Amino acid sequence: MEHNSPAELEKETGTPPNMIMTYAYCGIVFLACCFIFGISTNAGGEKIIQDNNMDVIFFFILTILGITFRYMLNCSPSCCFAAGALGSFVVLTVGQDPIIKYLTLAALLFAIGMYGMVVSRNAVRVLMSIELMLNAVNINLITFSRFVDPADVKGQLFAIFILTVAAAEAAVGLAIVLSLYRNMSTVDMQRFNLLKW
Amino acid sequence: MFNVLDIVSAPQTEMMMLYIIAIIAVPFAVGVIFDKNVIRSGFLLIGVFGGISAIFLLLKAPFLALAQLMIYAVGITLVVVIALMLTSTQLNSEIASEEQDIENEPAIMQLMDKTKRAFPFLVAWLSFLTIYLSLRTEGWMPLNKAAEGVDNLETIGTALTTSYSLPFEFASVLLLAALIGAIMLAKAQTSVDLDPSEVQNQE
Repeated sequence: MEHNSPAELEKETGTPPNMIMTYAYCGIVFLACCFIFGISTNAGGEKIIQDNNMDVIFFFILTILGITFRYMLNCSPSCCFAAGALGSFVVLTVGQDPIIKYLTLAALLFAIGMYGMVVSRNAVRVLMSIELMLNAVNINLITFSRFVDPADVKGQLFAIFILTVAAAEAAVGLAIVLSLYRNMSTVDMQRFNLLKW
Repeated sequence: MFNVLDIVSAPQTEMMMLYIIAIIAVPFAVGVIFDKNVIRSGFLLIGVFGGISAIFLLLKAPFLALAQLMIYAVGITLVVVIALMLTSTQLNSEIASEEQDIENEPAIMQLMDKTKRAFPFLVAWLSFLTIYLSLRTEGWMPLNKAAEGVDNLETIGTALTTSYSLPFEFASVLLLAALIGAIMLAKAQTSVDLDPSEVQNQE
C-alpha cells in the first residue's frame, strides 16, 4: 500500500509494537514446545501427557499469555497470533497419532480462515480466507482417504470436485468484487450495504 | 533406487516433514490475514498453497499435489493478485480513522468495542478447540496405519471415468457456467445498457 501523505505515514507508525515483549512471547512458546517434546520423548511420556490433559492445559496457558501480551503489553498482533497458533499446534499434537496431527493442522488452518473471513475488511482478502478454508477441508478429505480408505481413494475424488468448485467460486467471486468496485469504487466490506435487508 | 517420496514418507521422517511444513504454512496463513499490504498477503497465499500441496505429497496423493500447485498456487493466486491490482484500495487510512474514533469514546464504550472485536477470535478459538477435543477422544483403532503406496492415479482415473462420470460431466458444465458468468459480471456494462437508437437520440 502506498502512503499518500506523510500524515498517514505518521499515523501508522504512531504506536510501534513492543518488539522485545513480542520476542519474549515467541521464546515462551518455543520453551513450552521444547518442554512438552522433552516429556514425550521419555518412555510412556505420551501417556503421561494424555492422562493429565497436559496438551489442553498448555494450549489454554499459551492462549491466555498471548492475549495478555497482545493487549496489556502492546505486542505485534500478527506475530503473537502466528506464534500462538504454531505453538498450540505443536503442543497439541506432539506424541499423537499421525492422523490426529494432519486433522489438527487442517482444523487450525480452517480456524484461521474463519477468523480472517469475519475480520477482514477487504473483500478480496475475504475470498482468500475462503480459499484457505476450502484447502483445510481438502486436507481433511485426503487424510481420511489415506488412513481410512487407502484402497479406492474416494476422499481424493471428493477433493478433486472441491478443487473444481473452488476454482469456479474464485472466478465468480472476484468478478463480483470487480463489478462492485466499479459501481461503488471501494472494496471495504463494511460499506457494501446493498443487500442489507 | 533413489526416490524422494519414499524417503520423505518413511514414518520417522514423515512427522518431521509435517512439522516443517506447518512451521512454514501456518505463519504464512496468519500473514495472509494480518498483513497490512494486501498485495503481499496475496503472494503469501502462494506459500500457504505450496505448503498444503506438500502435505498432499506426504499423504501419498501426488496427483492432487500437482493439481493443487497448478490450480491454486498459480491459477487462483494469479487471479487474486490481478483483482487486487485492479481494485487498488486505501483501507489503511479507514482502519486508522476507526481506531481514532474508538480512542475518543468513554472508557466503558472502549471496553465494549474491544469485546465486540474479540468475538470472532473467540468463535474461531472455540471451534478449533472443539474439533481438537473431538479428534483426541475419538478411538481411531481400526486404522490402516501404514498405507502402502498404491498407484493412486490409475484408481482415480478409473473412478472418474466409470462410477463418477456423471459428477465429472456436471463439474465441466459448472466450470463453463462459471466462466461465462464471470465474463458477464466483469464486463463493462456501458454498451449493454444503451440501445443504439437512444444513443443517436441523445447525440
